[in-house]
Amino acid sequence: MGERRKVALFVALAIGATGALLVVRGPAEAGQSGGQGDPSGTAGPGATATQSSTGSNRGAADGALVEGGRQLFLTSCVSCHGVDGFGGPDGPNIQTAGEAGADFMLRTGRMPMAAPSPQPPTKPPAYNDEQIRQLVAYVATLGNGPAIPEIDTSRGSVQKGSQLYLSNCAACHNSAAVGGAISYGRYAPSLQQTAAQQVGEAPRVGPGEMPTFDARAISPSELNDIATYVEYLRKPPNPGGANLGYTGPVAEGFVALLIGLGILVLVIRWITRESGAGSVKEAHGKVPVPAPHVKTARDAHPATTVGEAEANG
Amino acid sequence: MDERFGLALVGQSAIQKIFPNHWSFLLGELALYSFVVLVGTGIYLSLFFNANTGETTYAGSYQPLQGVRMSNAYASALDISFETKAGLLTRQVHHWAALIFIGAIVVHLARVFFTGAFRRPRELNWVVGITLFLLAIVNGFAGYSLLDDQLSGTGLRIGYSVLISIPVVGTWLASLIFGGEFPGTDIIPRLFVAHVLIVPLLIMVLIAIHLAILVKHKHAHFPGAGATDNNVVGERLWPTYTFKAAGLFFLVFAVEVALGGFAQVNPIWLYGPFAPQNVSSASQPDWYMGWLEGALRLMPPWETRIAGFTIPNPFWAGVVPPGVLFGLLYAWPWIEARFTKDHAEHHVLDRPRDRPVRTALGVGVLTMASVLGFAGSDDVLAVAFNLSINGLVWTFRVLLFVGPLITGAIAYKVCLELQRRDGPLVDPVLVAQASSNGEGGGGSPGKVPPSPEPAEPVPADP
Amino acid sequence: MAEGSVPPPRRQRGERFPAALLALAVLAAIGFAVTYLVTSNNTQLMGLFASLGLLAIGAGMIVWAKRYMTPPHPEVEPRGRLASTEDEVEAFTADFEVGEFEMERRGLLTKLLGAAIAATGLAALVPFLSLGPKPGESFKKTKWTNGKYVVNEQNERVHTNQVGTNAVLTVFPENEVGNALSQALLIGLRPNELQVVPGRETWTPDNVAGFSKVCTHAGCPVGLYQAQLGYLICPCHQSTFNVYNACEPIFGPAATPLPQLPMAVDTEGYLLSTGDFSDPPGPGFWDQDRPG
Repeated sequence: MGERRKVALFVALAIGATGALLVVRGPAEAGQSGGQGDPSGTAGPGATATQSSTGSNRGAADGALVEGGRQLFLTSCVSCHGVDGFGGPDGPNIQTAGEAGADFMLRTGRMPMAAPSPQPPTKPPAYNDEQIRQLVAYVATLGNGPAIPEIDTSRGSVQKGSQLYLSNCAACHNSAAVGGAISYGRYAPSLQQTAAQQVGEAPRVGPGEMPTFDARAISPSELNDIATYVEYLRKPPNPGGANLGYTGPVAEGFVALLIGLGILVLVIRWITRESGAGSVKEAHGKVPVPAPHVKTARDAHPATTVGEAEANG
Repeated sequence: MDERFGLALVGQSAIQKIFPNHWSFLLGELALYSFVVLVGTGIYLSLFFNANTGETTYAGSYQPLQGVRMSNAYASALDISFETKAGLLTRQVHHWAALIFIGAIVVHLARVFFTGAFRRPRELNWVVGITLFLLAIVNGFAGYSLLDDQLSGTGLRIGYSVLISIPVVGTWLASLIFGGEFPGTDIIPRLFVAHVLIVPLLIMVLIAIHLAILVKHKHAHFPGAGATDNNVVGERLWPTYTFKAAGLFFLVFAVEVALGGFAQVNPIWLYGPFAPQNVSSASQPDWYMGWLEGALRLMPPWETRIAGFTIPNPFWAGVVPPGVLFGLLYAWPWIEARFTKDHAEHHVLDRPRDRPVRTALGVGVLTMASVLGFAGSDDVLAVAFNLSINGLVWTFRVLLFVGPLITGAIAYKVCLELQRRDGPLVDPVLVAQASSNGEGGGGSPGKVPPSPEPAEPVPADP
Repeated sequence: MAEGSVPPPRRQRGERFPAALLALAVLAAIGFAVTYLVTSNNTQLMGLFASLGLLAIGAGMIVWAKRYMTPPHPEVEPRGRLASTEDEVEAFTADFEVGEFEMERRGLLTKLLGAAIAATGLAALVPFLSLGPKPGESFKKTKWTNGKYVVNEQNERVHTNQVGTNAVLTVFPENEVGNALSQALLIGLRPNELQVVPGRETWTPDNVAGFSKVCTHAGCPVGLYQAQLGYLICPCHQSTFNVYNACEPIFGPAATPLPQLPMAVDTEGYLLSTGDFSDPPGPGFWDQDRPG
């Protein structure tokens, strides 16, 4: 009975550990997903059309957008980023953030920030689509920043994207786009929940610790290919079965040792249990030990028979 | 046939062989059967794998890599995964079996260590076993390095750097093994020959020796149920043990196939072809190399310069620790005998609690290896639990030395406590047996043995 | 646990479970074969049938053994002795000494035989030198020479304006793309961000600095750039280098800085190297500081 309890405890432990592994992406992702439940709804191909139009024809119609954005900025952003985005003690100068910077920060919920921190976490966007477009239009007028890139993953090449991603992005974001650690508690976020549009904006903006890749380093079509591949990585085929959180050999090691080897240890305990012969339970003298059939030959060859009607299956 | 070879007599003595019935005696069999699975799946895979570093353009069905230039080795590994029917299943079973194989070796080794099964007359079989452990690690590393994906290339790059860090002969060794500078074109075909021929052959020969010695010595067994140093108590080879052992083989195979079918392992298509300028975050080796990876990560930035010569940092972390560990493992039967002055033949095993010092030592070493293993995963842990990687490194640096002291002390205390609790349970029959059989040796009466097992006075332990 | 006296009906009931298991194994084997033949490489379905079949055989055999083959109490076998008796040792020694005596009598031949075998054995090892070339200059020197153009991974020359502020770019010497030891990382810095090492004042045209991308610890590509802090991190063992301080190591196992690439621009603004790295790149080795 005590044995059964031990077995149950072991199974619970193994399952718990594996569960922990399977959600290894949890924290990074939880920070990242921020309730953008269906990212294609907020900034997928549908949003692409509007954004690219703001990028291409800035006309008189935009005047209203800019003015609306200025009002929002003055109520919500100015306390940190200062008048005209000049910056202040609590926030950086954002005059060169550009459309792409504003759109990226607002749509991933990184801005506005609840409290100043070196790495703003993602959360559900604080503004609706109209407000974001107003703020984006206003920030774009502050200085010479990057425009919103045109991302349309239906036209991107997943082949070129995979090569560009592996040479430029995987070092920090991981080859499976699940993110990675960098120094002193900072991290390269998982891209598993990031909308393609924001994936495309990030290299242009260089948010936080991320380096900047402008159009001379990564061309607009290459940028679109990268976004396409990252979108592919959000739902890659897993022909081999459970993906173990894409954490590579670490998760594989835990599964092999806790589940694989763990089950096999339970198996050998089952095989040797209750069989009677020479088991350790008897070794402790709680079970009466029958007089063993001792053979007397001094030689190494056992010759005498045991004479039990044992093998009658 | 019997007329020619006299098989009946041989056969009868064989099927009467007695196997003690304790679960921990089957741990080695888990390793053995995993090896059988490895050979079987490995033969299938070798029929499709192309260990050639010449370049080709991928034209298989995995979309993101279509049209990409890559080595034949990587392309054929992708083809095994996507084109060959049952190829991915076999590849995954092979990989899971390798991970379990070495895991089973470690727990088997631990069982032998904690129960003192390495003592005379089994010292030599212990040495054979340690060599098998070493070869298994080498072959595992060679195996996953063959595929020429980005992760395996990163591992080879580190291996190469550790090689050249060896004083005096390092660059020579690296040049001979890699056929010149890293990465070169020779290493993949050479690893292939090592992985499918040289090392498996050595492993097979050593397994044969391991088992032959076992048959000659007969199994050690736990005390109790009439077990003494002069007999073996258990079940017969035929039919009881044969059926159980064969059944266990099928169950080992079943677990490994189940993992291979339902848990994706080493998805090389995500890692991409190896290029020396590329790398992915969270680049870890397979688990049995994790402790070496951890040692490399925790090592402070020390580099030794003597008389114009350099002993680089990876030598201290990548060569010295495995050298010390395996050196100690090889020498352990003699080291312990030197301390306990016990040179007698033993066939009755120790219970770990009856050897608190040895047990504490083993627990300490396992703790150290585990700390290193976790340190080797520190970037994954940092992301998973939202921690600072720098803080983790310092934590593990401290834990590496404090952890074993704590767990060792706890193990020691637990052993003593278990001994104490055993007291009232002693079966007078067994005590009588134990004393009448004459203990193996050195039973100087410093302290009354709290349990019926033959035991030296506790403090005289290693 | 079946005794010999167990009544037959009960035993038949006990047979049902292992029999069902073994029958299941037959069905699973058929299922596996059919899955292979019919589906297009369904790893999960094949794995399911194969593991189920193996599980059934294994469990069937063990249940059978546990129910019908386990004797009621343990069997005992004497161990016999391992060591030879003194008589046996003496007999062997006597036989052996016949040959030993002959070897001792012809001491010269014995020694020469030993020498011959040893020399042949050692000579047989010599051909293994064919495995690789003598390690030489290539461990220290890279393909960067004075006037070599800096190119990206597509072997296209790199203009300084391609490396804007906070940008990073992996580069090689022209026509040497993929050369493991020559790879370098260009980093776009702000004016005066870099503390220039004396003697390297002209190495960063247009605030573009180039450093070896090979970690000085274990040789991984130092691919993580933290643009705000100016840290380069190796993803393999977390060695961290401060770019602003000429890539001096500040954390992790690396003990030496990443060597810097001396660069200049041609008249059109394209980057080229003016020599090899400031130090031999990559991880250290025994005689790295020795000339030749």
